[in-house]
Amino acid sequence: MAQFMANWKNELFKLRKRKKYFVFLILGCLICVASALRLVIANYITGGALSPETVLGGLTNANLPFFLLVFLPLMAIMAACDLFAGEQADHTIRFSLMRPVGKGKLFFSKAAAVFTLCAFDLAVLYLVTTLTQVILGGGTRGVALSFLACLLDLIPLAVLVLFFCLVNQLVKGSSLTVLLCVVLYVGFIAVGTYLPAFGGLLFTGYLRWHNLWIGVTLPFLSLLSRIGLLAGYGLVFACGGYLLFDRKEA
Amino acid sequence: MDIVLNLDHVSKVYGNGRGARNITFSVERGEVVGLLGPNGSGKTTIMKSITGLCQPTEGTITVFGASVVDHREAALAKVGALIEQPALYENLTALDHLRMAARYYPGVDQARIDKVLEIVGLSQYKKERCGKFSLGMKQRMGLALALLSEPELMILDEPTNGLDIEATVEIREIIIRLAKEKGVTFLVASHLASEIEKMCSKVLVLHEGEMLSFDTKEEALRLNPSLEDYFLAKVRDKKGSVVL
Repeated sequence: MAQFMANWKNELFKLRKRKKYFVFLILGCLICVASALRLVIANYITGGALSPETVLGGLTNANLPFFLLVFLPLMAIMAACDLFAGEQADHTIRFSLMRPVGKGKLFFSKAAAVFTLCAFDLAVLYLVTTLTQVILGGGTRGVALSFLACLLDLIPLAVLVLFFCLVNQLVKGSSLTVLLCVVLYVGFIAVGTYLPAFGGLLFTGYLRWHNLWIGVTLPFLSLLSRIGLLAGYGLVFACGGYLLFDRKEA
Repeated sequence: MDIVLNLDHVSKVYGNGRGARNITFSVERGEVVGLLGPNGSGKTTIMKSITGLCQPTEGTITVFGASVVDHREAALAKVGALIEQPALYENLTALDHLRMAARYYPGVDQARIDKVLEIVGLSQYKKERCGKFSLGMKQRMGLALALLSEPELMILDEPTNGLDIEATVEIREIIIRLAKEKGVTFLVASHLASEIEKMCSKVLVLHEGEMLSFDTKEEALRLNPSLEDYFLAKVRDKKGSVVL
């Protein structure tokens, strides 16, 4: 475990030292604030018929699709490609490979670092959105439920991170890997949107996992099959990614 | 006899047919073994196989009695390596690299980091990004990373590559001193016979992926005036046997 933690800290350190992640997080925060301001300005233009609580209540919940479907997948793609395909391409992966740490621990600590970055970003975006809502007079309506939703949505996010880690083992070259990740992700989302019959079978259909648990609750048996499906995807991505990583030569 | 490194009929052949074939040798504690061969003779392939960067297609490699493939952590715990060009992140400083590497070894502290920076002469550049380093400085940095954990086995692939004369001599002296005073075992690859001759106690000759000989330096120099002549003689022997 000590070696896993050592590598996880190193991977996080490397991500922290890349400014683009910080810049993207700032951009994400600005988008959250802008979305709140847009609602306030629209209400003002239309004569301020609605109270700030009505306009801004549940802002975090309204912003969640942006976090979960656009921002976090983008961050996960960039981070996974930096830590896998990018390091493979410039041979810096040897820095970790020549240390006394198993390849399994290396693979999963890298995946864990990508997941940690995404979870951190989600936490920051949640905080910024909530603060914006409170500061602009929207009150605290929906804040607790949104927090619970964020926690639940970490589960499909972990599966998505493992998927990107697997894709990183399929091709050489970081640019090609980024492109492949984006194309596959957009493709899966498009299939889920335009062919609803298949949407339920794809893991990308469960990125808003909280919808199954908060609000209209589905029968437990129906939920069980979905949990199994997501867990199955996670296992396949984890095993496939690790096997391919183990066979790769630096 | 304390065997530190053992290769038993190891082969690693790449898709293009290059690599190394049927390599068998052992290295005892405190020895400085030189891998001598021209470019493309399989020196780096052997070193990459020993450090687990690639998996041999045949044979077994044990380091301190542990298989590199099956017990990677145990095998690499006391190994320091510099293979080809050092693996350095351009946006990180020398200090960042050493601090990251230190996390893998429980006994390595800031004092040890400062010490290795001093050994390789990079103390004054420790806060500079490695992307700005010259080839020689990168090589020194690679050596610092290899030395950091006070390894008992060091695997160095062309360690003086890119270094000036003064630094080359310094590195050579470090290798000889560590082997003599601390009993550190070295496996050093070079295509320069003179370099191997100056620091190694044993020499392994490689040519086109095949192991031609593995002798002590004294034995190699018994019938040859220099290791260069020894190498040429071994290559001639091989070519002669092929013609016959």
